[in-house]
Amino acid sequence: MAANAQGVAEAPFVWHPRSAAEAWQLKATLGAEGVFTAGGTLLRTQWESGLAAMPNHLINIGEIEELHGLELDSETGTGGFGAMLTLSDIRTSPQVNTRFPLLTEAARSIAAPSIRNLATIGGNVLSMVGDSIPALLIYDPVLHWHDGSNGLKEPLSEWLSTAPVHAAWKERLLISIELTQPTMDSNTKRFVAYHKVGRRDAFTPSVVTAALSMQLDSDTRLSDVRLALGGGQTIPHRLETAELFLNGQLANKKTITEVYALILEQYEPKGDAFVPVSYRKKAAANLIASELWKAVR
Amino acid sequence: MKDSMRPLTPLEASSIPCTLNGHEINLNVPPAKRLLHVLRDDLAMTGTKRSCDIGRCGACMVMVDGVPVNSCLTMAYQCSGKSITTIEGVSAGGIDPIQRAFLEEGGFQCGYCTPGMIISVKALLDHNPDPTPLQIEEALSGNICRCTGYGGIKRAVQKAIEWRKESYESESISG
Repeated sequence: MAANAQGVAEAPFVWHPRSAAEAWQLKATLGAEGVFTAGGTLLRTQWESGLAAMPNHLINIGEIEELHGLELDSETGTGGFGAMLTLSDIRTSPQVNTRFPLLTEAARSIAAPSIRNLATIGGNVLSMVGDSIPALLIYDPVLHWHDGSNGLKEPLSEWLSTAPVHAAWKERLLISIELTQPTMDSNTKRFVAYHKVGRRDAFTPSVVTAALSMQLDSDTRLSDVRLALGGGQTIPHRLETAELFLNGQLANKKTITEVYALILEQYEPKGDAFVPVSYRKKAAANLIASELWKAVR
Repeated sequence: MKDSMRPLTPLEASSIPCTLNGHEINLNVPPAKRLLHVLRDDLAMTGTKRSCDIGRCGACMVMVDGVPVNSCLTMAYQCSGKSITTIEGVSAGGIDPIQRAFLEEGGFQCGYCTPGMIISVKALLDHNPDPTPLQIEEALSGNICRCTGYGGIKRAVQKAIEWRKESYESESISG
């Protein structure tokens, strides 16, 4: 088998299934020897850096039509995002921007256009730390898998809580991600924001990635507050305690001061040699507090 | 494997049909080989530069079906049936106005990142002839230059936009 200068094997078998059922069957047959590949951008960096060995078999899922769909239903406010949609597809879709603006903003902030032309939304999600995830979490995301039988639906938040320790999902094929737009109560306006804070503008794991969405009435009373945080190696999640606290509160100095303290206390990011936990907590609390101020203004 | 399934055969080394700089070719290379190595080592097209190998620097940028991709991240099989344009293809009909703009505005020093920069700018302007400064910044966010400080590069992009506009206007008048 040929190898490049880094010793990475360059000659695995590449399979080209045409349906999810074929792809799943291949994976079941090949077991750990076979790996699903889509854009391949993350896999390649893992192979080059030695974090993962190049497998003997690649299962190219790029030719499976059912993974490429983008279905937006204005009546139900739902969106079905095929796992093979590239981040560029999402970034440049005006319809996605209208209905799921946080996802558009997330796609804009991930890597650079040339990477986004290859990298897929499915791959970003399955990395478990992708910066699309905080934005997706705002829209009650549900993963649709092909599991060799009738298909499996699983809320993204549930999958994120079990995926690091239970690897059974690696035998399944992600088909699509279903999102639901938040509904709007009358006499309210919705405020949304997405932010990445990093040591550089691009190409560095973010210190904090935050997404938020909330309704404000004319008295600036908050409702339907949704907050999600991630960044670096932190698996993104919703901040349910802070959401519960904010719902029904007036967005004023007292509320913002209290939620700032709550996030410092409750948010549990992963630190590393460059950015410790305490700094990430403070950055997250500052981001949410500053967005609340902007919403009030 | 189920009997009802279409027989599947894997690709180990095979012929991958594609178009390279306007010419139809078949790549007889391992399918997972990086496009960067196919271009430089197999086809001796060294205008595409090798640098970071992980899609961060943009020196190896090429266009596939008109959009920029990092050839260090692209596997040969991903080019099947597609049209690849390298820096050699951009200048096949003589120096491109974007290249001339980089020369005149000092948009390079060592020049190593320049082919990748040119490809990114060409992909941008082919798609959007009159981009805003923010759109230019986003389009070039995957190209790193360690010499110029980017001032000359930004001027070169603006100059290329002006020239393309003038060229379009003069074609419209004469047409």
